[in-house]
Parts: sequence; C-alpha cells; structure tokens
Amino acid sequence: MRDFLLNNVSPFPAKADANGHAAVHIAPIATGFVTHVLGKGNAKADAAHLTKLISDIAPELGATLRSPSPGQWFWVGDCDVSQGRFAEISGQIPGEYAISDQTHGRVRIMISGPQVRDVLAKGAMIDLADGVFVVGASAMTQIGHIGAMITRTDDDCFEIMVLRSFAVSLWHELHQMAAEFNGPHAG
Amino acid sequence: MSSLVKCPHCGLRPREEFTIRGEVATPRPHAGADEGTWFDHVYLRDNPRGQHREYWHHSGGCRRWLVLDRNTVTHETGDVVDASTLKTEGQA
Ligand SMILES: [Zn+2]
Repeated sequence: MRDFLLNNVSPFPAKADANGHAAVHIAPIATGFVTHVLGKGNAKADAAHLTKLISDIAPELGATLRSPSPGQWFWVGDCDVSQGRFAEISGQIPGEYAISDQTHGRVRIMISGPQVRDVLAKGAMIDLADGVFVVGASAMTQIGHIGAMITRTDDDCFEIMVLRSFAVSLWHELHQMAAEFNGPHAG
Repeated sequence: MSSLVKCPHCGLRPREEFTIRGEVATPRPHAGADEGTWFDHVYLRDNPRGQHREYWHHSGGCRRWLVLDRNTVTHETGDVVDASTLKTEGQA
C-alpha cells in the first residue's frame, strides 16, 4: 500500500481530444487503473488461475490481463480504483502473487482509424497483420526507441501503454506518424 | 546477422529489441577458488570461430535473459532458450 495519497495528473496535453474528427484518432485513456501482478517463482501462477482469482476478489473491475513477460501480467481496467480499494484487493491476493499498483507509472493511449496499422508500422517492428496480431493480442515491444505495450482492442483500434515519463514523447511521435492521414481540417 | 530473433517467450522480434552481453562463460567457480581461476572466469574469453553461445537480454520485450546459439562465421542463429534453463543444466 502507498504511504501517501497520490494526485494522479494526466501527462497528456489539456485538449488531448482535439483531433476527434481526424482519420486517425489518438486519445489518452484518462480513467482506469494499471496493476502489475507478478507470479512468484515456480508457483502455479498462470493467466487462467489469475483471471479466476481477480474475478472473485474484484468482480467490479473486470479481469483484463496483458502479459509482458512469463509469469507477469498487467491487470488493466477503465474504472478508477481508490487507494483504499486497492489495499483491500492486495490484502486478498494469495501469497503466490505479488501485486503493485502502477496506475501512476504507466499510462494508456487509444489510437484508432482505418489506417491505424500504417501509422504504427512506422514505429513498431512487430507484425500487426490480421492473422498474426488478432483482436485481444498484446505485445511488449518498442515504438521507435520507446518501450511500449501494444494491444489490439478492435479491428482498427489499438491501445498503447507506456511509462509515464515517456508519454509525451510518444504522444508527439504518434501524432507525427499519423500526420500524413490527418491533413488540415476545418475547425 | 539475422535481423529477427526468435524469443522463446515473445516470438520473432527485431534485433533492436535485444541487448547482447557476450559469451556464456564457464560455470561460476567456487567462492574460494584461487585468483587465477577467477581471473579466467571473469576476463578471459575464447572468441571461437563457429558455434558460440551468448547471453542476450530481451530488454525491449519480456526483459528475460536468453541464451542464443550463434555461428560467428555465418552469423546464423540457432536455438534460443531462456537463461534459467542453464540452471537445470548446472551451468549457471
Ligand atoms: Zn522476449
């Protein structure tokens, strides 16, 4: 549990949704949580087991897991979790897992539009083709030199999770990458 | 060198995601081993021509240490395994 209250401030520009009518839409995910869950050593830690566990402990948060590494998961969701509630949850997680709230440390960006894969192809070096990177797939990788976790949330929609201190750099980079599809528009 | 490396956890990934540490050294000597043995373990490398085993860190992906089989003549890469498997081989 945290020793002091954190005031979670968005790292993104204030009018982050200003490109709402562009062909490629880039928007921060302003609410929600990111929790890092680590399985301890040779324990029976696996995604199915953990999914059941967190569904039982916190059914209101959903059980969306993204695995960056063997035995490690990011548990993410769109509703805000108070520090009190997080403390309750961590108190109920059994000993074979370690859990750490990273909502302050990792932020999420949604990027969508018909040409979203052409945009991401400029920075990501993994194969995002339909048959390879299906909806629901996620990968810890790099966009340019910035480490990022890419998740396909829909056919034309991807979520990018990045460390907060790299968020603005990546934000600008994504806008540059999308610029050819987002020509000048009225308003 | 092949520009795609097959991480046993992440699948085919670009070489840019990896940090190369170098040859998989001989098993770590006993703490009380003499200075010559330690010097050899820490500093001396064979630099072989041909098959070579190296530590690679998947720093841009799963962040696991891997052991990669590479031919220093052809630059062909072979098996890539998680470095923890060396423990069971008794070579960690
Ligand atoms: Zn990997």
